[in-house]
Amino acid sequence: MTQAQIDVRHLSKTYRVPERQPGLAASLRSLVRPTHTDVPAVQDISFRVEAGEIVGFIGPNGAGKTTTLKMLAGLLYPTGGEATVACCTPWERQPAYLRQISMVMGNKSQMLWDIPPLDSFRVLAEIYRLPAHEFHATLDLLVDLLDMNELLTKPVRNLSLGERMKCEMVAALLHRPAVLFLDEPTLGLDVSTQRRLRRFVREYNQQTGATIILTSHYMADVVELCPRVILIHHGSLLYDGALGGLVERLAPFKLIRLTINPENSNGAVDRALTDEIDVLEREAGRLVLRTARSATPAITARLLSTLPVLDLAVEDPPIEAVIDQIYQEGNV
Amino acid sequence: MNHRGGWALIQRTWLSWMQYRSFFFLLAFGWMIPPLIYLFVWSTAAGSQDVGGISRGEFVAYYLILILVNQLTYSQTNWTVGDEICYGRMNQMLLYPMSPLYHALASEIAGKVVYMIFVVPVTVVLALVLRPELHAGPGEVLAFIPALVLAWLLRFFWGYWLALLAFWAARSDALVAVQDALVFLLAGQIAPVALLPGALQDLAIALPFRYMVGFPVEVITGQVSGSAMITGFVIQIGWTVAAMLLYRVMWQRGLRRYTAIGG
Repeated sequence: MTQAQIDVRHLSKTYRVPERQPGLAASLRSLVRPTHTDVPAVQDISFRVEAGEIVGFIGPNGAGKTTTLKMLAGLLYPTGGEATVACCTPWERQPAYLRQISMVMGNKSQMLWDIPPLDSFRVLAEIYRLPAHEFHATLDLLVDLLDMNELLTKPVRNLSLGERMKCEMVAALLHRPAVLFLDEPTLGLDVSTQRRLRRFVREYNQQTGATIILTSHYMADVVELCPRVILIHHGSLLYDGALGGLVERLAPFKLIRLTINPENSNGAVDRALTDEIDVLEREAGRLVLRTARSATPAITARLLSTLPVLDLAVEDPPIEAVIDQIYQEGNV
Repeated sequence: MNHRGGWALIQRTWLSWMQYRSFFFLLAFGWMIPPLIYLFVWSTAAGSQDVGGISRGEFVAYYLILILVNQLTYSQTNWTVGDEICYGRMNQMLLYPMSPLYHALASEIAGKVVYMIFVVPVTVVLALVLRPELHAGPGEVLAFIPALVLAWLLRFFWGYWLALLAFWAARSDALVAVQDALVFLLAGQIAPVALLPGALQDLAIALPFRYMVGFPVEVITGQVSGSAMITGFVIQIGWTVAAMLLYRVMWQRGLRRYTAIGG
C-alpha cells in the first residue's frame, strides 16, 4: 500500500477535566483534594486521506472533530494511536512539518488587529522563509482569487467579518501548505461570502493539489466541496464514504413532489395513495409523498398513468434532515 | 532557530504597540514609582552623613540606574504567557514553524523600545535635578553590560518557566506575583543589598532575585567589586543556566499536557 497523505491509526484523546461543585466549601475541598474526570473526546479513529482529496468532517458539536484536527495539526498530544501526515508525526512538531500544513479556525484570528493585513502577511513570509518572488506570486494569486486587493492596506479592525475571513485564508495559504485543515471556515458569514469562500477552496485545491480536511455545520459547504465525508459522533467514527451513500443508508426513501389538475381528481387521488405511500403534505392539487427507495420507480409510473399529473419531481430527502436524524439518534 | 521570523515578529509587535504608546508610558510610569519612593527615602536619610558608606548623591545614582535596569529587565510576558496557555491563545503560535518563545521575545524587545522612549528622558530630567554621584570607570561600565544582559535573561526565563506552570495549574500568575514581591525585597529595590541585615543579605546573595535587578546596579556603582563581583557573576550565570534548563523541561513536558482549549 502506498503512503497516504494523511494516515490515522487508532487515534484516541482523553481529556482530564478538573471537577468541582459550586460553592466556597467545595472550592476549598478541591484545593486540598482535586478530583478529575476523564472525558474521552476521540476514541480509536482510523482513516486515510490521499493527496489532493477534500474530505468533510461532520458530526454534532462536541463530537471530537476539532480535537482530531488539532492532533493532526500538532497542537495536541494524543492519548493513544498513531498518525502520519505528509510523512511526519504531527505532534513531534518538526519545523519541516509545520511548514507543510496550515489550519484555519473560523472563530480564531491570526491577523493583528491594529495593522493592515499586508504587514501581517509580510511577517508570515519571514516566518515561513518565503523568497520574495514566491511570496508576491502567491499573494497575487490569492488576492485575485478572493478579489480583495482593496483590503490589503486597511487596518484589520476596520474590516467586516467576511473580509477578515478572506485575510485569514490568505494568511493560512501564503506558504502553500500541502495539507490544509479548515475548522468551520464559514462560521457566521453571509450566504454570498460563504459561496465565494467555497469556490475559493475548490479552486485552491484544483490549482495546488492540496489535501484538505474541512469541518462545517453548514451542509452546503460539505455538499459542494466534499465528495467524501467522515462522520464522527461521541468521539467514534460512524461513517466514511460518499455523502450520497450516507443519505442512502440513512434515508431509504425518496420524496415525490406532485402537482395535479385539482378538478375532479380527489377520488382518483384517494385510490392512488396506497399503503406504501406516506402523504407528507396535501393541499389543492399539490402533494408531497414519501416512498421506499426501491418502490419509487413503480409508484411514480403508476401515479403518472392514473392521475392528471401537471408536474412530478423525485427528490432525496433534504440532507439537513438526514444529518439531524443521525445527530439525534447517534448511529448510522 | 528561526531568527528571520523572530526579527519580523519584533517589528510587527513594535508597529502594533506604537499605536498604544500612551498606555505603555503609563505602565512604565507605574513601575518607576516604587524605586522613586526609595530614592527619596534613602537620599533624605543620607542627607547629612553617609548611610553604610553610601552618600546622598550615590543613593540618587544607584536608584536612577536601578529604575533603568528594572525597566530593561522587567518581563511583562511572564504575565501573559500563562493566560495564552490557559485560554488556548497559544494555538496559533504553535502552528508556526518557530518556537513560541519568539513571540514572547518579540513583545519584550518591542516593549523595551517603547518604554525607553518614556523612561530615558524622565531619568535624565531627574538626574539633572537630583545631582547623582557616579564614579564609574571603564572597568565598571564594561562589567555592567554582561551583568545587565544576564539579569534580563535570568528574569525573563525565570518568570517564563513559572508561567509555564499554567500547563498544570490554571492560574500560575500567582507565582509570578510572588517572584515580583521577592524581587522587590531581595533585588535591591527596597534597599541596596549591601545595607540588608545579615541573614537577609545572605539570602539575597544566594537566591536568584538580586541577579535580576540589583547586581548590575551594584556593579556599575562600585558597591560590589573584586572577588565579590566574580562570585556574583558565577552565581548569576548559574541561575541563568538553571532558569533556561527549567524552561526547556517545563516546555517539553507541558506541551504534552496542553489541551488547546477553545476553537
